[in-house]
Amino acid sequence: MIERNERKPYWRHTKVQMLTSLLPFVLAMIVLPLYADTLNSKRILGIPLGYFLACHGLIIIAFVTIAAFVNRQDAIDHWHGAHEDF
Amino acid sequence: MAFTSRTRLVNPRLGTYFGIFTAAFAALVLMAMMLEQLGAADGMVRLAMFAGPVGLYIAIGLGARAHESLDYFACGRRVPAFFNGLVLAITALGGAGFLALTGSLFIVGFDAFCLSIGWYAGLVFMGVLFAPFVRKFGAFTLPAFLGRRFESRTVRIVAAAALSVPILLLLAAEARFAAYAAAWMLGQSETMMAVLVVVCATVIVFAGGMRSLTWSSVAKAIAALLALAVPATVVALMISNLPLPQMTHGNIVRLVTRMEVVRGVPIILAPSSAFDLPGIAMEPLVKRFIQSFGSVGSLSFIVMSFVMAAGIAASPTLLARSGTPPGVYEARKSLGWAVLVTGLVLLTLPAVAVYLRYLVIDQVVGQPGDSVPVWFQLLQQAGIARVTSKAQLLTLGGISFERDAVLFSLPIAAGLPQVLVHLALAGALAAALAALAASLTAIAAILAEDIVHGLPSGTTPEAARITTARIALLGAAFVTVWLAIAAPADPLQLFLWAVTLSAGVSFPVLLLAIWWKRANAMGALAGMITGFAVTALLMLLGETGAITWPSALAGAIGLPVALAAGVAVSLATPVPGRQVLDIVRELRVPGGETLYDREMRLLRLKNRAPG
Repeated sequence: MIERNERKPYWRHTKVQMLTSLLPFVLAMIVLPLYADTLNSKRILGIPLGYFLACHGLIIIAFVTIAAFVNRQDAIDHWHGAHEDF
Repeated sequence: MAFTSRTRLVNPRLGTYFGIFTAAFAALVLMAMMLEQLGAADGMVRLAMFAGPVGLYIAIGLGARAHESLDYFACGRRVPAFFNGLVLAITALGGAGFLALTGSLFIVGFDAFCLSIGWYAGLVFMGVLFAPFVRKFGAFTLPAFLGRRFESRTVRIVAAAALSVPILLLLAAEARFAAYAAAWMLGQSETMMAVLVVVCATVIVFAGGMRSLTWSSVAKAIAALLALAVPATVVALMISNLPLPQMTHGNIVRLVTRMEVVRGVPIILAPSSAFDLPGIAMEPLVKRFIQSFGSVGSLSFIVMSFVMAAGIAASPTLLARSGTPPGVYEARKSLGWAVLVTGLVLLTLPAVAVYLRYLVIDQVVGQPGDSVPVWFQLLQQAGIARVTSKAQLLTLGGISFERDAVLFSLPIAAGLPQVLVHLALAGALAAALAALAASLTAIAAILAEDIVHGLPSGTTPEAARITTARIALLGAAFVTVWLAIAAPADPLQLFLWAVTLSAGVSFPVLLLAIWWKRANAMGALAGMITGFAVTALLMLLGETGAITWPSALAGAIGLPVALAAGVAVSLATPVPGRQVLDIVRELRVPGGETLYDREMRLLRLKNRAPG
């Protein structure tokens, strides 16, 4: 169980983690589709680059975002003793 | 509960059970294929492909009975992260993802990505912002969580009423998608099939509520993923020699672009606020596939992807599942699996669209009207494709397609056996049934738990709670049948309305409830009522044409307005009491007992104590 005086730093840590997870992802959600057309003249693995980034790239970014979030948030829980005691 | 180990809660044989289901499903498809090759009647093969999988889902649903409320409403909190993620993914996608998104990608190309980006982004938002905290609370419904968090019965009732509306819209949309797929499989009218699919979904979840829903939806998810992957992989092998449609369709995109340039398909530039996704009527293929912002403007594209993300993240149908994993960590991880599965599906759907587009451009466009390939004649006879221009040689713009038929047109166009066409349909049906059954369970739980029993629900006996939920389920099923038959709108539009309403109503209040300690009951009420009023009003105005803002994007204005109203009213009214602050503090920490379970335990102890 979490110590009483650990609650504040735990929540501050959690908030920072939430922002560091979501902000880059939100930025990618805005930027990648907007510049897709201009990037389509280049290509990667034979796929037009703009299309690749908006279709495959964003999905990869989304998965990396959520995987990193799960991993980091679990580490934060353990650091502050807030984890579940199974 | 220091002595409850994670392994004790989870059934270790789940993998075996679903391995058996997968084998049975594969055997059924192979059997149907053999029967077809042996010359069995078409009707029998169709019936086998419809009744076989649906019979399996019903058997799983009826087998997973529930006698306790924890089983009926939260699947006993025993669903491992992977299975929960699988169900979340397939429920989020539903028929709208499988049928309408594929068709939209085929017809407008890149512009339909605004929906698919929103889909997986919504699951990311849900995992980071809401799911772990709602799981820590562990309430059976979203309004119950909000009512307890704000210590107000009024909030609970208002939330129940406001959140029912997006669920009802979703029910209507998914019933229509399921009926559409079933109608193509069985060759019957859509009205009759709407009754049939709603009856099937009701039977599936009747015996065990969330427990039946979870385990039958895992089966539906496996069926839907197989049914999507098999035809796409076969076509990928035929066209690009590599069985990886998710990657190899990129090369075909380049080929398609080059051919579109040669055939003189125009570049269309839409104004930045245009929002024109294909509707339910036949839609011409006017736009180049890869070109962006030709039918959905750049502003609408970005706004739509965020509205979709907010709507999926706070969707009352999906968050009803958040009580099912064994712990907070598992709840987070399940969202990771959900993003992975959704991402894989959303990489395969564009592949289906691109392959069909390639076949159309390669083999149909440029041909004289009377010498089109056999498969295109078949599509024309079935009413899926139509040639609208009277020109001597066919042009891409002169061909119209039915949006929802694209997913199963690809096996027809590639000349695959009829069974694979039915397989694609069975997959879409499975996804639509999963979303339909999930919405039915969610709204029945809200009706029974929040409206009928209300607070404090611990005093109602277990059996009565389950019986009420079953009666509510039957009522919801009747309403769904009526909605599916009576609602005249395009099912994709109904789905987008559901999403935009949940973005405008549910997202702001959840954000305030979890991430802002100062939010109080008055603020929550103000947020929900303002969000609902503004979003609904903008949707009505957009539909009647009074404003040019598309109705599907109404949530983009409703959400910030609701958030502002919630913050302003909270600040103008007193700070929430000590008890509420204690709940919020506990909610934010993963460790410790699930709050709802602890309350129920204490209530039971109090009732048992003499005097």
